Amino acid sequence: MKKTIQIGSSISTSNFLIVFTVFLLCMAGLMALYSASLHVEASFFKKVIGKQLLWMILGIIVMFAVFLLQKKILFDGAYIFYWIGIALIVLPYFFGSSAAGTNRWFVLGPFHFQPSEFMKILVIITVARYLSGSDLIISDFKSLIVPLLLALLPMGIVLKQPDLGTSIIYFMLVFPMLIWAGARMYHLFIILAPIISIITAFNFYSFFIWVLLLIVIFYFSKERIWVAVILFVFNLSLGFLTPVLWNRLKPYQQNRIMTLFNVNVDPQGSGYQVIQSQVAIGSGGLFGKGIGNGTQTHLKFLPEQHNDFIFSVVGEEYGFVGVIVVLLLFFMLISLLISVAYRLRDRFSSLVVIGVTSVLFFHVFINIAMTVGLLPVTGLPLPFLSYGGSFIISCFIMIGLIFNISLERRR
Amino acid sequence: MFYLQNNATSLHRNLLILAVFSLFLILGIRLYQLQIVDYNRFAGIAESNRIRVVTQPAPRGIIYDRNGQIIVDNKSQYNVNLIPFEVAKNDSAFSLLSDILNIPESEIQRRVKKNWRGNFLPLRIAEDIDFETLSELEERRLELPGVMYSLEPIRSFPRQAHLSHVLGYLREIDKDDLQMIKNYGYRPGDLVGWKGVEREYESILRGKRGFDYVQVNVHGQEVGKVQDRHSVETQFGNDLYLTIDIGLQAYAEQLLENKKGVAIVMDAKTGEILTTVSKPDYSPGLFSGIVESNVWNELLNDTERPLFDRAIQGTYPPGSTYKIVAVLASLEENILAPEATVRCRGVYKLGRRDFKCWKEGGHGRMNLFDAIVNSCNVYFYTLVRKMDVNLWARYGKKFRFGELTKVDLYGESQGVLPDEPFLDKKYGKGGWSEGNKLNLVIGQGDLLVTPLQMVRFTGALATHGKLVTPHVGLQYMEHGTSRFHPLSFSSADSIQSISASSWEFVEKAMYDVINSSTGTGRAAKVRGLDVYGKTGTAQNPHGEAHSWFIGYSKEGGRTLAVTVLIEQGGSGGGEAAVTARKIFSYCHKNLPVETGEKEVAVR
Repeated sequence: MKKTIQIGSSISTSNFLIVFTVFLLCMAGLMALYSASLHVEASFFKKVIGKQLLWMILGIIVMFAVFLLQKKILFDGAYIFYWIGIALIVLPYFFGSSAAGTNRWFVLGPFHFQPSEFMKILVIITVARYLSGSDLIISDFKSLIVPLLLALLPMGIVLKQPDLGTSIIYFMLVFPMLIWAGARMYHLFIILAPIISIITAFNFYSFFIWVLLLIVIFYFSKERIWVAVILFVFNLSLGFLTPVLWNRLKPYQQNRIMTLFNVNVDPQGSGYQVIQSQVAIGSGGLFGKGIGNGTQTHLKFLPEQHNDFIFSVVGEEYGFVGVIVVLLLFFMLISLLISVAYRLRDRFSSLVVIGVTSVLFFHVFINIAMTVGLLPVTGLPLPFLSYGGSFIISCFIMIGLIFNISLERRR
Repeated sequence: MFYLQNNATSLHRNLLILAVFSLFLILGIRLYQLQIVDYNRFAGIAESNRIRVVTQPAPRGIIYDRNGQIIVDNKSQYNVNLIPFEVAKNDSAFSLLSDILNIPESEIQRRVKKNWRGNFLPLRIAEDIDFETLSELEERRLELPGVMYSLEPIRSFPRQAHLSHVLGYLREIDKDDLQMIKNYGYRPGDLVGWKGVEREYESILRGKRGFDYVQVNVHGQEVGKVQDRHSVETQFGNDLYLTIDIGLQAYAEQLLENKKGVAIVMDAKTGEILTTVSKPDYSPGLFSGIVESNVWNELLNDTERPLFDRAIQGTYPPGSTYKIVAVLASLEENILAPEATVRCRGVYKLGRRDFKCWKEGGHGRMNLFDAIVNSCNVYFYTLVRKMDVNLWARYGKKFRFGELTKVDLYGESQGVLPDEPFLDKKYGKGGWSEGNKLNLVIGQGDLLVTPLQMVRFTGALATHGKLVTPHVGLQYMEHGTSRFHPLSFSSADSIQSISASSWEFVEKAMYDVINSSTGTGRAAKVRGLDVYGKTGTAQNPHGEAHSWFIGYSKEGGRTLAVTVLIEQGGSGGGEAAVTARKIFSYCHKNLPVETGEKEVAVR
């Protein structure tokens, strides 16, 4: 009993720190949005900053609502919620408004919902639920199949919308959860290997190194020899076939796949956005140009400055100091969340927290890596900073979920 | 326990935190590389990375008359613009500008505030500067970073004729017209057609502005064209051809000079308006570019109301010209046989009220035909007593009085055609009497028409029932392809329910109004031309009566309907008829009767 209280109090300390970090991140976002909407002629609540503030308030209300939910309902209803979620992300194909040629939106009166945002949370809960099943043997490879399918189904649907960023998130969030649940690293490697084979196949040297790595790993794995050979040959042939298949595709088909990996590429020329974003960040220097003085931002060189490239606004106007502060805040938030997951007693709760942490982390990493030109443009927003109603609300739901789970007293 | 134990170890935790840390470290190193190591390079790019979008305003289409004479043309003026962000860094900029432009500094500040669209967007501070000012500005360009001038097209009016109300004018779009900005791609400061054909045919006349992307450095100096953006070519507006005959227009305007009134000439078969004058008017040159507020206020506050288009917006009692409607009703409904006579003693007694005929002492015995020719009120008083007010109103409705003509000019009035429900509503049930009817039949009382409705009515009489849509737009020439596109209007309706014999009866009577020795419209007689007409003298409580004349001429295949209204011009047989005669005579002599297809001269 004494220990429970102790755990509870240390978690509530970290909860306080989480709230504080989230608050600071929201403030950073609002400051950047303030700057980005400086020259917009509109009343406050018509500007992105005003609208974002309203979304945040709505998010906080929703967060409290989530906080009141009972964990038992989440645990028992996980699969039902999952299928409802699947139904919702399929719906935009039939009733959605296709903003900018995509099928992501779901219009409900004045609100545009992007159900795929909320589906992330449902995937987390369902995978956590499955991995907390009492008869599950996690060290068995077969146990990994269902969680992967749970992620692949919405991934496939959302990929068709097309929203590459979100669908990648569905897939990625499963891996930290599997690791957390105790899956064997070797199994995860086998799952990821074909993907790496395909990607590296486009360059001879990268593929060569990858094949060497495969040989080493299969050699040291305690895998039965014929299984190892089959896996190796499979990956090898996948790598060899990829360029052949790619060249047999018609140009428009290639183009379609290319656009999938470059959803927001500006028609003005490939890489234009990323170059301008790097110029914005780079010209910020150590201390930045000061609020409202970012020439890249205000001369509209910077694309998508409210959404996917908000980090570049921070970089330009607050400089290296500013972006490091934001990075540290994110690092602090994620470490705090991992620690909370570690301290939780039951596996389900712990896995939910890890799932949420993964989603937040991948968003942060992929988004920032994109703005600095380390990853291709996939169209993932930056949590708490980017403008966008559905996304900000789903972020607050995730935070609410963590509070809910970490403060649960019925043990 | 309900849930499985969390079996994650501290190894798991540390592993994940380490993974996160290393990935963040990569981001941190990359940011260090961009912002610290490569700072100079990127700062350099950002410095020179200032694209200035140079707008090339598009000239509006030219407006021609029906014969291809230019009515509205474009000319260029130099305007001065500045970019707030760049000027703000230079303390002496405003005083220097004030010196060069000869505008007080406070006024410049005021314009900056008024036209501000964004710190980095150019705004206009002066217009139509002369060449001297321009060269001085050019000389001191280096002292004034962020200040530039632009060449913009404005309207010019090479002809004598004003045609002010038809042409209308342009207005500057301001920040309040957001809807328009949003839906049609206007920008604050753009000129948009606000009245007349400039408004009606905005989409035809309006060009599409072009853009040049110029890369400039922080000092506002051009460093070259932008590589990855293509400039957008300016698109000229399409040229518009009006149905107006500018020579006739000038002549008619001159006839009405220093008067208050309206003259409209319309092709009765097509609805093409050859001339429409509303006096007093204003010089369209006042509106060539952006109107200065003092000029604007002067026009607005003028008690003569020069901005008011009397031809389509003014509503007047039509006076005796409207008796024709009762004539047709009587003929069609057999109210009074045409040959039946009424004795006019100059006054009609209704209860204790006396309703007078315009001729003191009376016309004597009058049948329907004589009553039209002599415009005898007493005959019509007698006639309307036998008529239901709704029946009378029904015949007015056949000519669509009380309705918009749907002319292609903005701001038309619809007038008032009273019927029983109207009178009941206005005076209460039983609050009106036979006396109202007596006033209505001679075109007085609550009946109100616009001169444009009257000219359409005249046209319908001339064509025996064809109700056209009057219009001033003829066709437009697509810029670029030089293809002509006719403008279409709702096709003419014909009034089927009136018999040919009735139309002919009226036509004969209207012929005698002009040509018989007692006809009230004798003053409109033109030698060698068949003119038909009717005069009207509308009582005006504010002064002398308004003088009306409606009439038409038939010559070859052409039927011209003419309506003249002189406010406070006295008897319709006087001033209005004289003006109409001059117009008919001008057309007879100067406008060749068109045969076959219309040809429009291309400039």
